[in-house]
Amino acid sequence: MTVQDLILSLHRFWAHQQCIIFQPYDIEKGAGTFNPATFLRCLGPEPWRAAYTEPCRRPTDGRYGENPNRLQHYYQYQVVLKPCPSDVQDLYLASLAQLGIDPAKHDIQFIQDDWESPTLGAWGLGWEVRLDGMEITQFTYFQEAGGQELNPITVELTYGTERIAMYIQEVESVYDLVWTDGVTYGDLFHASEVQFSTYNFEMADVKMIRTTFEAFEAECQQLLQAELPLPAYDYCMKSSHLFNLLDSRGAISVAERTGYIGRVRALARGCAEAYIEHRKKLGFPLLQPQGASQSVKRKQKRKAS
Amino acid sequence: MGIKTHTTRKTPRPKGKGKAPKAPMSKKTTTLPLLVEVGTEELPWQVIQPAFTHLARAIQKVLTDKRISFGAVRSMGTPRRLAVLVDEVSRKQESSRREILGPPKSAAFDAQGAPTPAAQGFAKSQGVLVKDLQIQDTAKGAYVCVVKEEKGRLTGDVLKESLPGIIEKLSFPKSMRWNDTGIRFARPIRWMVVLLGQTTVKFSVGGIVSGYTTCGHRFLKGKRGKRATISSPAQYVNTLRRVGVWVDPDERTAILKTRLSSLAKSVKGHPFPEHADSLLEQAVYSLECPHAVLGQFDSLYLHLPQEVLITSMKEHQGFFAIAGAQGQLLSRFIAPTNMKLTNMSLIRKGNERVLSARLADAQYFFNEDRKKKLADRLDDLNGVTFHKKLGTLYQKSERMVALAPFFAGASGDVQDKECCQRAALLSKADLTTGMVGEFPTLQGIMGREYARHDGEAESVCQALSEQYLPRNPDDPIPASELGQRLSLIDRIDTLAAFFRAGVIPSGSEDPLGLRRQAFGLIRILVEGTVDINICSVLRQARAQLDAHGVRGNHDAQAPSEEDALLTFLAERVRFYGRTQHGFREDVMDVILDRPTPDSFHVRDVFLRMEALQAMTAEVDFEPLIIGFKRANRLVDKEQWTSSQVDSALFEDPTEGELFFAVDKARNALSSLMTQRDYRGVLLTLLGLKPAIDQFFTAVLVNAPDAKVRANRLSLLSVVKHVFLEFGDFSKIQVQSNS
Repeated sequence: MTVQDLILSLHRFWAHQQCIIFQPYDIEKGAGTFNPATFLRCLGPEPWRAAYTEPCRRPTDGRYGENPNRLQHYYQYQVVLKPCPSDVQDLYLASLAQLGIDPAKHDIQFIQDDWESPTLGAWGLGWEVRLDGMEITQFTYFQEAGGQELNPITVELTYGTERIAMYIQEVESVYDLVWTDGVTYGDLFHASEVQFSTYNFEMADVKMIRTTFEAFEAECQQLLQAELPLPAYDYCMKSSHLFNLLDSRGAISVAERTGYIGRVRALARGCAEAYIEHRKKLGFPLLQPQGASQSVKRKQKRKAS
Repeated sequence: MGIKTHTTRKTPRPKGKGKAPKAPMSKKTTTLPLLVEVGTEELPWQVIQPAFTHLARAIQKVLTDKRISFGAVRSMGTPRRLAVLVDEVSRKQESSRREILGPPKSAAFDAQGAPTPAAQGFAKSQGVLVKDLQIQDTAKGAYVCVVKEEKGRLTGDVLKESLPGIIEKLSFPKSMRWNDTGIRFARPIRWMVVLLGQTTVKFSVGGIVSGYTTCGHRFLKGKRGKRATISSPAQYVNTLRRVGVWVDPDERTAILKTRLSSLAKSVKGHPFPEHADSLLEQAVYSLECPHAVLGQFDSLYLHLPQEVLITSMKEHQGFFAIAGAQGQLLSRFIAPTNMKLTNMSLIRKGNERVLSARLADAQYFFNEDRKKKLADRLDDLNGVTFHKKLGTLYQKSERMVALAPFFAGASGDVQDKECCQRAALLSKADLTTGMVGEFPTLQGIMGREYARHDGEAESVCQALSEQYLPRNPDDPIPASELGQRLSLIDRIDTLAAFFRAGVIPSGSEDPLGLRRQAFGLIRILVEGTVDINICSVLRQARAQLDAHGVRGNHDAQAPSEEDALLTFLAERVRFYGRTQHGFREDVMDVILDRPTPDSFHVRDVFLRMEALQAMTAEVDFEPLIIGFKRANRLVDKEQWTSSQVDSALFEDPTEGELFFAVDKARNALSSLMTQRDYRGVLLTLLGLKPAIDQFFTAVLVNAPDAKVRANRLSLLSVVKHVFLEFGDFSKIQVQSNS
């Protein structure tokens, strides 16, 4: 199974489970959780089901393309279900079977892994799912996001796309993965790993990034004042990524670290509060029967144009 | 299939002639076994045993409180279930009879025998009619009384009401919500089996209704599929086994142990002993079907430090490392698995790949880290904050280096001093290495490895690896003296610094673990070989903080900072004495409550406590203290300060004898104290008992002649001060009164 077949199989599986097949969000981020389709949609009372591939950037994990298992840019396959179905573990296992991983032939364990994102002010309880000892998925019941207690609870499944593909294709290096016939992961991403590692660790202009961080933070705050949570959240994500860059440049001390994390968290909280308020004003449209929700959307559209 | 109905077994009436015995006697209550199983999604392994233990305790308590007799209680569990089995649970509650006294009869009924408002009020409050009130004769006279008889209800009905609360109230270190019922649990509850005999006790918790269907192993299919019906509590353990679940942890432990040793034996090894026990417990509570697979890794990795290999296996993967006959690590591991298949090769290969990726990463760090000497990493410590109020780790290292000479051996050996300073200088450098970044628990260990690679003195290398010992109460203290010193220097600086910054533990708040730091410090001082006066090194540590410009919140109050620290340390000494040696509190008071002088020798304090604790077992000890206290009280009452004794004023031979005995004791004590022969000191004091007792029997201290009286008080003052050389014996609590 090629990497793209794997993604397509998961799309088909989760589409069948009434998930919206969402698309990646066009801003750098450290995890699929940052995508508004997870972070914002898990807030408030409206139901939500979505699945999408998300490119993730973790500057400190770069290894100049020399480590067969570590990347500063990789793909998460993300599923969010709200409210969480009572058979979600079985659904997940069925999705593995869809990928040709027969749970009856392997050792699959759910090992406690409590998740926390200090920058998003979010936490949840769950597991890392191990397939024959290898962590392939992060499985989390969100309890809080943006400092808001969640109700109903969203369950988040984050598949390690490359890891699962490596297991299925039985390759020892991520760069040997076949993305599609005749094209390897290395063909597509090796150069980018080398160049971005150099950038992240050596070249990134610390002074420029620090200044930009301040500017983005201010922009986010200004947008929150203007009650525009969606663009505000863009700048929250951007700030978070800049913080990661500063971190990989070794430019922040432990003490400063806490300070930066606190600042991003404050933005995330602001966005979360404003987003809930915004949905409330709309009357939580996804709570309405399908037709009503459509008409509200159309009305909004007409207003905007 | 509906809920099975329970049929009450009626005790047959005895045949034959004569009256049947009275009803309560004949209704011999039958007993039934009880099963409570709470089925969940995978629980964290650490919470399972505490949770089923609490569940069992809560069930026992409710049965007792509700007057339901029961037999043996067993509790057990796996990641997916918490279970309690109770034998011989009485089918019915005991009936109860309670008498509630009301107002006196005289107040309740008037002269005509008609009920007064008092009687009416009482009856109303008890929910009975006035005519149901009874009269009870008590020692205080006749009183109105209500007799409440509660008939025993069926146990099933009682449990139906009590169990939901018990399950909902189980508490966990972290709990979560998953649906809109508001219930919190460690992980979602997905089913419940509650059986009393063959009958389900039906109730609902968190949206789940109890029944008799359980889930088997997630992946192994039993003869009847993954679901199983429990026909009766007695069948519980066996039924689960048929669907691939070994619910009893003891059974899982035994299976795993056998499997581990046979796998290890197949490669002429044994599970690496130092972590086998803790890993075994983790495995037992992570698996429903305990099994394990033997894997292999590239023997090239055996060149990595042993701790790195073990950490990679244990902490990340929960794998058992295997040691060969000579205790050396083999390039093998055992991975516990939750699956038992005829062909385990797929699972083995998967686990091998994971470990090999981890070891490749470790090897990468090991190679990269050694390209830069530890000594060249000191600059990098400038970028690592120790604490926001206390500067960088570089500054901490500098302070430690400056402190080192005060900890170096008493011999003043130059080489010794240099080693100590070198160790202090390099102590934190490994925190900037990639390996420690990846495996934080290897701090110190990697310092040793890299220092060896750099060609540092072996004693320095060893000290680096021992500097964080003891990490917890079960850890040994550093084996080498230099290691002990380094650990002490680090702790003293940390404590002084945080007290300066005002980060002081209070109540249950101790986020930085300063109590644990101090506890380790006390242990090293008592159990190790370094002998220092804490007061003087603390003063040096504080001077270093001054020199580095570390200012506290209340700079002007420096003396109180010192007091706070000494009080804190004394409290830790007390905690150590109490928890590790079981010393009496008053015994510790004798030594610790003395007005704190300039010196605080922890080991000395400990040795005194130990000697005194032993002495309390002597028959003469309490009488001696009674005598001492009497002398002490008299001297204190008069605020007597003179110790000038004039033997010419003695009127009774016992005065001279006491004077002679005390004088002799005082002479003996001075050398015993210097030698820290505290048993000798206490035996000497114990030797004074006859002289003190005889003195008090024979003479009256408050003699009519003022000079004689003064002389006697002076003599007692001498006695008091001899005792005070050791400690304040007035703190000893004696059982009998003097």
